[in-house]
Amino acid sequence: MRTSRLLIGAGKAVAVTALLFWSLFPIVFIVMSSLKPGQEIFAVPPVYVFTPTFEHYAALWSRWGVFFDGLLNSTIVTAGATALAVIASTCAGYIYSRGSGRFLNASVMFLIIVRLIPPIVVTLPLFPIVNAMGLNDTHIVLMVLYATFFVSLGTVLMRTFIDQIPRELDEAAEIDGAGRLTILRRVIVPLAAPGILAVAVFVVVFAWNEFLFAFIFTATRAKTAPLVISEMIGSIDGVDWGVLFAASTVQLAPVLLFVVLMNRYLVAGLTAGATKG
Amino acid sequence: MRTRSLAQSLPLIAPVHILILSVIVVPSIFVIWLSLTKSSFGQAPTWVGLENYVRVLGDPAFRGALWNTVVIVVFAVHIELAVGLAVALLFASGLPLRRFLLVAVLAPYAVSEVIAVVMWRFLFDPDAGPVMLALQALGLPILDWSFEPTHAMILIALLTIWLHLPFTFIILYAARLAIPGDLYEAARIDGATPLQAFRRVTLPLLGPAIVVALLFRYIFAFRIFSEVWLLTGGGPARSTEVVAVYLYQEAFSYNAFGPAAATAWIMVAASLLLAAGYVLLLRRQVAGNAH
Repeated sequence: MRTSRLLIGAGKAVAVTALLFWSLFPIVFIVMSSLKPGQEIFAVPPVYVFTPTFEHYAALWSRWGVFFDGLLNSTIVTAGATALAVIASTCAGYIYSRGSGRFLNASVMFLIIVRLIPPIVVTLPLFPIVNAMGLNDTHIVLMVLYATFFVSLGTVLMRTFIDQIPRELDEAAEIDGAGRLTILRRVIVPLAAPGILAVAVFVVVFAWNEFLFAFIFTATRAKTAPLVISEMIGSIDGVDWGVLFAASTVQLAPVLLFVVLMNRYLVAGLTAGATKG
Repeated sequence: MRTRSLAQSLPLIAPVHILILSVIVVPSIFVIWLSLTKSSFGQAPTWVGLENYVRVLGDPAFRGALWNTVVIVVFAVHIELAVGLAVALLFASGLPLRRFLLVAVLAPYAVSEVIAVVMWRFLFDPDAGPVMLALQALGLPILDWSFEPTHAMILIALLTIWLHLPFTFIILYAARLAIPGDLYEAARIDGATPLQAFRRVTLPLLGPAIVVALLFRYIFAFRIFSEVWLLTGGGPARSTEVVAVYLYQEAFSYNAFGPAAATAWIMVAASLLLAAGYVLLLRRQVAGNAH
């Protein structure tokens, strides 16, 4: 009995170590390599003890100004897309939670079916239209695209979260003479904050990291950070791995920190999104 | 009262529906029309019926891309499910530092496909990649992914599993936590071995969550683009192309919007079929539980 418990304990320890290695090694290795002095990046066997240097970050700063423009563009697009998606989803989620009727039920079904359409499909007609409207290579195109591909999930999520708020609260507010918007602002939003954060986590992570739409719809002015990094990989013969690792670390650090801090909302959102949507 | 409430409701649901209609639904319907015409930049489209579909379905490059996509979906998604299930059960069996470990497993969720490609490209670099060196040191065959299409596909599958394991894991772990502990207690009292408890309690009760996780991952893996585009660009010689990369090439490299649109609708149809299969499965499960 004792030995079998020991064996199980050892088995679990091995499994957990393997799991940690699998999940974290690629991330840790890239961050570590960004701090290695020039030639040690390619040292065989790999070096794990070294004097950290910021030379690659300095090189990134002096040679890849366009990367920092990309970070700024990513920030603007992420903020805009998140605000748009969160506001639209909260308003709609409130109505779907409180209302009923054939029209609303049918349109929830519609929201779910829409998620089946792959994003690349809509690039075909949107590409010429966006060009014709002169919106190519602008922040607004990416904001609208990113928000749109999350409002269906966002609405369903917000409905699930708002369902948990007792209706008596809005009824009491209604008796006091509050209109829908006031109830939404004063009663629903404060109590549905975890849901709002869950939707925000999804949109922030997606918008900050997205590649396909940025690749097709931006060229220079609105180019996001992932796109600039992809161009660094693209120049592969002359690729400076140190600078590439530094740029990757800078792009990754904020979103990773965000996911770590918001992990509860991410888990809640993933769970609710998969079972209800 | 009722009309007043509808008038008050519409402005609140309108933004979501305006966005979805104008960005997703109307363009998708327009793609149907596009798929039935022959057009390219600056040319007036002409009606060609189903010619584009015939051309795409008969194109060896498309068939290769479809085959690659199916291989990735089948291998990556099922391996991911098995690993995700194992990790979920490991967590449910009780672990110290659970919150920390959970966050560690979630971490790849935050990583962009672009950064993931940078990581995995370097880890598997033929000259200096730590994973390659480790494989060599162990006397194992290395992945010659820049020349050997099969090896490139393995790397793409690994990369996509790495990126999406957090999703699959969370769905299964949440479902496992929702199984009441008394059921295991009852199974133990009835003399069930842990393996029997897994087969008779865990698996049947996780059924719906497994189906949901699979469906989502089938549909999303079928769209795979960035990982392939950034890792191999579909090469060497289109051998690692997937359907989304084929679509992109047709539209934006060859200006063949008709065939690209036909490919797009083949993708939509495949997703709808998968989802229909899912609804059917769920119905059967609900009916099965009722008995």
